[in-house]
Amino acid sequence: MHLDYRLNEDRETDWSSVTEEDLRYRVALGNLVFHVGDKDFSADWGWIPLVDLAASFAEIVRKLEGGSASETFEFTESDAWVRFERKGEKVLVSTSYGDGVGEIALQSASQAVKSFCERLRSDLVSKHPQAAHNAAVGRLLGAA
Amino acid sequence: MNLRLLTALFLAFGLLLTADLSVAQTAGYSQTSTDQVILTRWALQHIMARHWPDSTATGAGKFQAGITEASLRDMINEAVHSGRARHNTHGRPGTIYEYDFQRQIGTTIDGGPATRLRVVVSNRNEVITAFPF
Repeated sequence: MHLDYRLNEDRETDWSSVTEEDLRYRVALGNLVFHVGDKDFSADWGWIPLVDLAASFAEIVRKLEGGSASETFEFTESDAWVRFERKGEKVLVSTSYGDGVGEIALQSASQAVKSFCERLRSDLVSKHPQAAHNAAVGRLLGAA
Repeated sequence: MNLRLLTALFLAFGLLLTADLSVAQTAGYSQTSTDQVILTRWALQHIMARHWPDSTATGAGKFQAGITEASLRDMINEAVHSGRARHNTHGRPGTIYEYDFQRQIGTTIDGGPATRLRVVVSNRNEVITAFPF
Protein backbone atom coordinates (compact mmCIF):
# COMPACT_ATOMS: atom_id res chain seq x y z
CA MET A 1 0.00 0.00 0.00
CA HIS A 2 1.38 3.35 -1.03
CA LEU A 3 -0.20 6.21 0.89
CA ASP A 4 1.07 9.69 0.19
CA TYR A 5 -0.09 13.25 -0.44
CA ARG A 6 0.59 16.43 -2.36
CA LEU A 7 0.15 19.45 -0.14
CA ASN A 8 -1.05 22.70 -1.71
CA GLU A 9 1.04 25.78 -1.14
CA ASP A 10 -0.42 27.92 1.64
CA ARG A 11 0.94 31.30 2.69
CA GLU A 12 -2.22 32.67 4.25
CA THR A 13 -3.02 30.39 7.18
CA ASP A 14 -2.12 31.55 10.67
CA TRP A 15 -1.03 28.23 12.13
CA SER A 16 -0.98 29.51 15.68
CA SER A 17 -4.75 29.86 15.67
CA VAL A 18 -5.81 26.95 13.47
CA THR A 19 -8.66 24.95 15.03
CA GLU A 20 -9.65 21.32 14.64
CA GLU A 21 -12.56 22.41 12.46
CA ASP A 22 -10.11 24.28 10.21
CA LEU A 23 -7.96 21.16 9.93
CA ARG A 24 -10.98 19.00 9.23
CA TYR A 25 -12.34 21.20 6.44
CA ARG A 26 -10.33 24.26 5.44
CA VAL A 27 -6.55 24.07 5.73
CA ALA A 28 -3.69 21.78 4.71
CA LEU A 29 -5.52 20.95 1.51
CA GLY A 30 -4.14 18.86 -1.31
CA ASN A 31 -4.26 15.59 -3.22
CA LEU A 32 -4.32 11.99 -2.05
CA VAL A 33 -1.89 9.47 -3.55
CA PHE A 34 -3.26 6.03 -2.71
CA HIS A 35 -2.32 2.71 -4.29
CA VAL A 36 -3.39 -0.65 -2.90
CA GLY A 37 -1.66 -3.42 -4.83
CA ASP A 38 -2.26 -2.61 -8.49
CA LYS A 39 -5.33 -0.49 -7.74
CA ASP A 40 -5.01 3.27 -7.92
CA PHE A 41 -7.41 5.08 -5.59
CA SER A 42 -5.65 8.42 -5.78
CA ALA A 43 -7.76 11.59 -5.75
CA ASP A 44 -6.28 14.73 -7.29
CA TRP A 45 -9.13 17.09 -6.42
CA GLY A 46 -6.89 19.62 -4.69
CA TRP A 47 -9.31 20.33 -1.84
CA ILE A 48 -8.84 17.25 0.33
CA PRO A 49 -8.10 18.28 3.95
CA LEU A 50 -5.06 16.07 4.49
CA VAL A 51 -4.87 16.31 8.29
CA ASP A 52 -8.49 15.22 8.49
CA LEU A 53 -7.80 12.34 6.13
CA ALA A 54 -4.77 11.25 8.15
CA ALA A 55 -6.65 11.39 11.45
CA SER A 56 -9.67 9.61 9.98
CA PHE A 57 -7.58 6.84 8.41
CA ALA A 58 -5.76 6.40 11.73
CA GLU A 59 -9.07 6.03 13.55
CA ILE A 60 -10.34 3.60 10.92
CA VAL A 61 -7.26 1.41 11.33
CA ARG A 62 -7.68 1.50 15.13
CA LYS A 63 -11.29 0.37 14.76
CA LEU A 64 -10.38 -2.43 12.35
CA GLU A 65 -7.66 -3.57 14.74
CA GLY A 66 -10.26 -3.44 17.50
CA GLY A 67 -12.48 -5.90 15.65
CA SER A 68 -14.66 -3.75 13.40
CA ALA A 69 -15.65 -5.57 10.20
CA SER A 70 -16.02 -2.51 8.00
CA GLU A 71 -15.27 1.21 8.12
CA THR A 72 -15.97 3.91 5.56
CA PHE A 73 -14.15 7.18 5.06
CA GLU A 74 -16.31 9.95 3.59
CA PHE A 75 -14.66 12.85 1.82
CA THR A 76 -15.60 16.24 3.19
CA GLU A 77 -16.86 17.94 0.03
CA SER A 78 -18.51 15.13 -1.90
CA ASP A 79 -20.30 11.85 -1.39
CA ALA A 80 -17.17 9.97 -2.49
CA TRP A 81 -15.94 7.35 -0.04
CA VAL A 82 -13.21 4.81 0.69
CA ARG A 83 -14.32 1.54 2.29
CA PHE A 84 -12.12 -0.74 4.38
CA GLU A 85 -13.39 -4.27 5.01
CA ARG A 86 -11.53 -6.58 7.31
CA LYS A 87 -11.16 -10.21 6.24
CA GLY A 88 -9.11 -11.94 8.91
CA GLU A 89 -5.69 -10.31 8.89
CA LYS A 90 -6.33 -8.74 5.47
CA VAL A 91 -8.14 -5.54 4.57
CA LEU A 92 -10.07 -5.10 1.34
CA VAL A 93 -10.12 -1.53 0.05
CA SER A 94 -12.66 -0.14 -2.41
CA THR A 95 -13.83 3.33 -3.35
CA SER A 96 -16.83 5.01 -4.94
CA TYR A 97 -14.62 6.70 -7.55
CA GLY A 98 -12.18 3.96 -8.58
CA ASP A 99 -12.52 0.51 -10.06
CA GLY A 100 -11.69 -2.74 -8.35
CA VAL A 101 -10.81 -3.90 -4.87
CA GLY A 102 -7.33 -3.74 -3.38
CA GLU A 103 -6.05 -6.05 -0.69
CA ILE A 104 -3.48 -5.41 2.00
CA ALA A 105 -2.41 -6.89 5.33
CA LEU A 106 -3.94 -5.00 8.26
CA GLN A 107 -0.50 -4.56 9.81
CA SER A 108 0.83 -3.02 6.59
CA ALA A 109 -2.14 -0.67 6.42
CA SER A 110 -1.50 0.37 10.00
CA GLN A 111 2.17 1.09 9.27
CA ALA A 112 1.33 3.03 6.11
CA VAL A 113 -1.18 5.22 7.94
CA LYS A 114 1.22 5.84 10.83
CA SER A 115 3.96 6.82 8.39
CA PHE A 116 1.52 9.09 6.53
CA CYS A 117 0.63 10.92 9.76
CA GLU A 118 4.28 11.33 10.76
CA ARG A 119 5.39 12.60 7.34
CA LEU A 120 2.48 15.02 7.11
CA ARG A 121 3.16 16.41 10.57
CA SER A 122 6.85 16.80 9.83
CA ASP A 123 6.11 18.47 6.49
CA LEU A 124 3.62 20.90 8.03
CA VAL A 125 5.96 21.84 10.88
CA SER A 126 8.80 22.32 8.41
CA LYS A 127 6.71 24.64 6.25
CA HIS A 128 4.79 26.29 9.10
CA PRO A 129 6.85 26.19 12.34
CA GLN A 130 3.88 27.44 14.40
CA ALA A 131 2.08 24.20 13.60
CA ALA A 132 4.45 22.45 16.03
CA HIS A 133 2.80 24.30 18.92
CA ASN A 134 -0.78 23.94 17.70
CA ALA A 135 -2.78 21.69 20.01
CA ALA A 136 -5.20 20.59 17.27
CA VAL A 137 -2.35 19.48 15.03
CA GLY A 138 -0.85 17.48 17.90
CA ARG A 139 -4.20 15.94 18.75
CA LEU A 140 -5.01 14.87 15.19
CA LEU A 141 -1.57 13.84 13.96
CA GLY A 142 0.04 12.88 17.23
CA ALA A 143 2.82 14.71 19.03
CA ALA A 144 6.35 14.51 17.60
CA MET B 1 -47.05 57.19 52.64
CA ASN B 2 -49.79 55.45 50.65
CA LEU B 3 -48.47 57.03 47.50
CA ARG B 4 -44.96 55.66 48.21
CA LEU B 5 -46.37 52.19 48.82
CA LEU B 6 -48.38 52.38 45.62
CA THR B 7 -45.29 53.50 43.67
CA ALA B 8 -43.21 50.67 45.14
CA LEU B 9 -45.88 48.11 44.26
CA PHE B 10 -46.14 49.53 40.75
CA LEU B 11 -42.35 49.33 40.28
CA ALA B 12 -42.22 45.79 41.65
CA PHE B 13 -45.02 44.73 39.31
CA GLY B 14 -43.18 46.37 36.41
CA LEU B 15 -39.98 44.50 37.22
CA LEU B 16 -41.84 41.22 37.43
CA LEU B 17 -43.49 41.88 34.09
CA THR B 18 -40.14 42.76 32.50
CA ALA B 19 -38.53 39.63 33.93
CA ASP B 20 -41.33 37.47 32.52
CA LEU B 21 -40.97 39.04 29.10
CA SER B 22 -37.19 38.51 29.10
CA VAL B 23 -37.59 34.83 29.83
CA ALA B 24 -40.17 34.52 27.09
CA GLN B 25 -37.93 36.29 24.62
CA THR B 26 -34.93 34.20 25.60
CA ALA B 27 -36.92 31.02 25.31
CA GLY B 28 -38.30 32.11 21.95
CA TYR B 29 -34.83 32.98 20.61
CA SER B 30 -33.43 29.74 21.94
CA GLN B 31 -36.14 27.79 20.17
CA THR B 32 -35.49 29.64 16.94
CA SER B 33 -31.72 29.20 17.14
CA THR B 34 -31.99 25.43 17.49
CA ASP B 35 -34.25 25.26 14.44
CA GLN B 36 -32.11 27.46 12.23
CA VAL B 37 -28.46 27.09 11.45
CA ILE B 38 -26.08 29.95 10.89
CA LEU B 39 -24.50 30.47 7.50
CA THR B 40 -21.45 32.67 8.06
CA ARG B 41 -19.72 34.68 5.36
CA TRP B 42 -16.75 32.30 5.62
CA ALA B 43 -18.94 29.25 5.10
CA LEU B 44 -20.69 30.87 2.15
CA GLN B 45 -17.33 31.63 0.53
CA HIS B 46 -16.21 28.05 1.22
CA ILE B 47 -19.35 26.66 -0.46
CA MET B 48 -19.11 29.05 -3.41
CA ALA B 49 -15.45 28.19 -4.00
CA ARG B 50 -16.16 24.48 -4.28
CA HIS B 51 -19.78 24.01 -5.21
CA TRP B 52 -21.04 27.09 -7.08
CA PRO B 53 -21.96 26.47 -10.74
CA ASP B 54 -18.87 28.34 -11.95
CA SER B 55 -16.47 26.68 -9.50
CA THR B 56 -13.57 24.90 -11.13
CA ALA B 57 -13.05 22.53 -8.18
CA THR B 58 -12.98 18.94 -9.36
CA GLY B 59 -14.46 15.97 -7.53
CA ALA B 60 -17.13 18.07 -5.86
CA GLY B 61 -20.87 18.36 -6.53
CA LYS B 62 -22.08 21.63 -8.03
CA PHE B 63 -25.27 23.63 -7.51
CA GLN B 64 -27.45 24.33 -10.49
CA ALA B 65 -27.05 27.59 -12.42
CA GLY B 66 -29.22 30.31 -10.93
CA ILE B 67 -28.47 29.44 -7.31
CA THR B 68 -28.39 32.50 -5.05
CA GLU B 69 -27.34 33.07 -1.47
CA ALA B 70 -31.02 33.29 -0.51
CA SER B 71 -32.01 30.06 -2.26
CA LEU B 72 -28.99 28.31 -0.73
CA ARG B 73 -30.12 29.44 2.72
CA ASP B 74 -33.62 28.15 2.00
CA MET B 75 -32.33 24.76 0.87
CA ILE B 76 -30.02 24.47 3.86
CA ASN B 77 -32.85 25.28 6.26
CA GLU B 78 -35.16 22.77 4.56
CA ALA B 79 -32.48 20.07 4.72
CA VAL B 80 -31.83 20.74 8.41
CA HIS B 81 -35.55 20.83 9.23
CA SER B 82 -36.68 17.84 7.18
CA GLY B 83 -33.56 15.84 6.37
CA ARG B 84 -32.01 12.79 7.95
CA ALA B 85 -29.49 13.68 10.64
CA ARG B 86 -26.47 11.66 11.69
CA HIS B 87 -23.29 12.22 13.63
CA ASN B 88 -20.31 13.40 11.66
CA THR B 89 -17.86 10.60 10.96
CA HIS B 90 -14.57 9.42 12.49
CA GLY B 91 -14.17 12.09 15.11
CA ARG B 92 -15.16 15.03 12.94
CA PRO B 93 -17.16 17.50 15.00
CA GLY B 94 -20.79 18.29 14.21
CA THR B 95 -23.80 16.79 12.50
CA ILE B 96 -24.56 15.79 8.91
CA TYR B 97 -28.00 16.45 7.45
CA GLU B 98 -29.09 14.90 4.14
CA TYR B 99 -32.27 15.70 2.29
CA ASP B 100 -33.68 14.62 -1.08
CA PHE B 101 -35.48 17.51 -2.78
CA GLN B 102 -36.99 15.12 -5.37
CA ARG B 103 -35.87 17.56 -8.08
CA GLN B 104 -32.54 18.40 -9.56
CA ILE B 105 -30.59 20.90 -7.46
CA GLY B 106 -27.22 20.44 -9.10
CA THR B 107 -24.78 17.88 -10.45
CA THR B 108 -22.85 15.03 -8.86
CA ILE B 109 -19.08 14.64 -9.09
CA ASP B 110 -19.66 12.57 -12.23
CA GLY B 111 -21.74 15.34 -13.81
CA GLY B 112 -25.05 13.51 -13.38
CA PRO B 113 -28.17 15.08 -11.89
CA ALA B 114 -28.07 15.57 -8.12
CA THR B 115 -31.30 15.79 -6.14
CA ARG B 116 -29.90 15.53 -2.62
CA LEU B 117 -28.17 18.07 -0.38
CA ARG B 118 -25.67 17.26 2.36
CA VAL B 119 -25.17 19.93 5.02
CA VAL B 120 -22.48 19.69 7.68
CA VAL B 121 -23.25 21.75 10.79
CA SER B 122 -20.80 22.42 13.61
CA ASN B 123 -21.54 22.00 17.30
CA ARG B 124 -21.97 25.80 17.39
CA ASN B 125 -24.86 25.43 14.96
CA GLU B 126 -22.85 26.97 12.12
CA VAL B 127 -22.83 25.54 8.62
CA ILE B 128 -19.39 24.17 7.73
CA THR B 129 -20.18 23.08 4.20
CA ALA B 130 -23.11 22.12 1.98
CA PHE B 131 -23.16 20.43 -1.41
CA PRO B 132 -25.42 18.56 -3.82
CA PHE B 133 -24.94 14.88 -4.45
